Amino acid sequence: MQSSQRSLSLETIKRGLLAGIDVTWQLSRIIIPIYFIVTFLKHTPVLNLLSGLFSPLMRIFGLPGKAAIVLVLGNVVNLYAAIGAMVSLSLTLKEITILAIMLSFCHSLPVETALAKKIGLSAVNVIAVRATLAIVSGIAFNLIL
Amino acid sequence: MVGIIKEAAVGSFLSVKQIAIIVIPLMVFMEILKDMGVLNRIANLFSPVVKIYGMKKESGFPLVIGIIIGLSYGAGIIFRSSREDNLPKRDLYLITYFLVSAHAVFEDTAIFMAIGASGALLLVTRLLVAAFFTFLASRLIKDRDEIMSEKAG
Repeated sequence: MQSSQRSLSLETIKRGLLAGIDVTWQLSRIIIPIYFIVTFLKHTPVLNLLSGLFSPLMRIFGLPGKAAIVLVLGNVVNLYAAIGAMVSLSLTLKEITILAIMLSFCHSLPVETALAKKIGLSAVNVIAVRATLAIVSGIAFNLIL
Repeated sequence: MVGIIKEAAVGSFLSVKQIAIIVIPLMVFMEILKDMGVLNRIANLFSPVVKIYGMKKESGFPLVIGIIIGLSYGAGIIFRSSREDNLPKRDLYLITYFLVSAHAVFEDTAIFMAIGASGALLLVTRLLVAAFFTFLASRLIKDRDEIMSEKAG
């Protein structure tokens, strides 16, 4: 396939910088408010309550109960929201890696499922595949790491 | 209360800074690769690999671009090449299966690396699992097509 090709110039660097700044901006717009909310929750009983509720389920992946917040935000909103929660909760490197692989396979479900539907796969189909990959990889990483 | 606000302000600022330090150079690097034509060359290089999925060679290009750049940009390329190269529905499904599990792999990996995850482990696992799953799907979809064509014949 023939693709329009530009030549390497200062414009290239500029475009890259702008793209990088845009990602950082999109990311901080989400990470900062979520960081604030989670930090506030940490000082209330709410976080411990949620944590206790989800800890039996999250134990399957070797994760603390509070990590459920990360998975919910990542799937309902997007990766940036999940990262905002990950950095504000104090998680170990192993827990961060397990969450990262689970979220890599399954995230931003509303937006990305809509895209997949446009191409012709059903929503149930796509979500089932992604959730399965996330669950299996989470369990596997917990056992291996 | 002031302590909590300070904790959140400092913590969130440091996290964003940490991510920016990795993401901004990565994006510049990706633009350089794009403009040098390296991205297209990589995509063309890997195109024939999709034959193991029983896909047309032309289907490899949108797949590789989607893996590297991302799903929304990838979808644009997929629509364009499905028109230009007349890609079969089966190929489109397989590309989508691969891409929903693995897209924008460098950007996502970089962001997770910035907060402490092992980048190599994430990248390799994600690509291998997506490739293997797509392989399984390619066998299943092929079977269904054969059954359908047998019935039709």
